Amino acid sequence: MTWLVASALMFAIGAYGVLTRRTAILVFLSIELMLNAAALSLIAFSKLTGGLDAQVVVLFIIAIAAAEVAVGLGLIVAIFRRRETTNVDELRQLRW
Amino acid sequence: MIGFWEALALLLLVGSALAVVRLQNAVHAALALIANFLVVAGVYVALEARFVAMIQVIVYAGAIVVLFLFVIMLLSAASANVGPDLLPRLPWVAALGALGLASLLTFAALQFSPPASPGSLAGGLPQALGPLLYDPERWLFALLAVGFLLLVATVAAVVLVEPERILAATTHPAHPQRAGQPEPPLSERKEGRAVVK
Repeated sequence: MTWLVASALMFAIGAYGVLTRRTAILVFLSIELMLNAAALSLIAFSKLTGGLDAQVVVLFIIAIAAAEVAVGLGLIVAIFRRRETTNVDELRQLRW
Repeated sequence: MIGFWEALALLLLVGSALAVVRLQNAVHAALALIANFLVVAGVYVALEARFVAMIQVIVYAGAIVVLFLFVIMLLSAASANVGPDLLPRLPWVAALGALGLASLLTFAALQFSPPASPGSLAGGLPQALGPLLYDPERWLFALLAVGFLLLVATVAAVVLVEPERILAATTHPAHPQRAGQPEPPLSERKEGRAVVK
């Protein structure tokens, strides 16, 4: 149960980071923190209920996080080469 | 209620997570993220998920964060401070929202009542996880799909970073004039720096 609370705290801290960070890379770091909090809660549930399926799902989360980081950092590098900034306040073509 | 090591790990988890979202130097934030991942791996070992703990150290702390550090250095985007803030009161509102989210999730977690006699996890070693992972009736097809996803993501990352060179290298019959066009330098492109209104 301790670890469920720890995962809730980590998830909330990551959400705070996503809302307040203003560089795309640091927003991305906070998203990784939130993903990791979700994985931690799955492992805690695996221990509490005695099922191994949650651990398999965490392996998938890690693999998908690797794919996501490859694409996301590729996007950030491409945006930086074109705009010379990764400030999320300036990248506002797709929003008002 | 909770022992010394649990309290220490909880403190380190929350402290390093706060460092990730508050430190002003991006390299320091990434290093704090590595610390957080290593503590999480230790917690995984304590929770009988040893294989996942190993993968966490190798893939997350080893590969993913190193990729982050590499891009931070490459783009010289090391500082989180990027000029005047458009929403100066946002951190307080975000902190309030995060506090609400944390209390809601904690409340939900404390509602959970685990079964009296949970099954055995066999330490979460590979010989326990492997049969599940490769069972056609459980996770085999998800595993194959994730493998394909990794391939697609790799190709996408390469295409995203070098679109002009790849377009120039592949001559399409409908657009033969594209081939061999030199890439204009960054300063002469039309899309310049976005203007903040």
